[in-house]
Amino acid sequence: MKNSLKVERAKMNITQAQLAELAKVSRQTINAIESGKYNLSTILALKIARIFNAKVDAIFELEVGD
Amino acid sequence: MKTNFLFPNKFKKIGWIIFIPVFILSILWVIFEFEPEFLDVSVISLFNDEFLQDMQIMIIIENNIADEILGILLIVSSLLIAFSKERNEDEFISKIRLESLVWATYVNYAILILAFIFIYNMIFFWVAVFNMFTILIFFIIRYNWALYKLKKSMSHEE
Repeated sequence: MKNSLKVERAKMNITQAQLAELAKVSRQTINAIESGKYNLSTILALKIARIFNAKVDAIFELEVGD
Repeated sequence: MKTNFLFPNKFKKIGWIIFIPVFILSILWVIFEFEPEFLDVSVISLFNDEFLQDMQIMIIIENNIADEILGILLIVSSLLIAFSKERNEDEFISKIRLESLVWATYVNYAILILAFIFIYNMIFFWVAVFNMFTILIFFIIRYNWALYKLKKSMSHEE
């Protein structure tokens, strides 16, 4: 799964730590999602999409092989 | 989803406070057979099997309960350390927790299988005794190491 978290964060000008706080998860979690090491749950994907005021599939995208 | 069978975060600290002295005393117990006299008490033995006697059921016997106390405290404190929530417990931490538990179970039983094959008699008895505690200890080491690695890799970014 690809994601555009970094871009979305840059647009909103917030750090990983700030996003973590908004989504009520640890900074490690945001870091792992952003670097593609962790496939997040649907609930968290929905929460993050809401923070960025976007649709889930605008931020998270299936990749070949998923 | 809400039920995760974990203790609140503060129990982790309590676990460590109990675990460290009990772990040291347990090692002393293994090496020196440390059995203070005041711990010689009457206990109920559900199934009692004395040398060259038939098995008796539900009788009172004399026993030093140092090992019983140490064993129980060691298990309870290890459980508290292993299964108390992190301050920032979330789904990613849960994944690391699960991976570490699977890893610890494999390592623990791999060691036990090797011991089945290569260790016999009284020494095997000791392997069996240690094996009661090692699964939790392996888990605690692996899980905390994984968390430490994660934090360390993060400090290089951002």
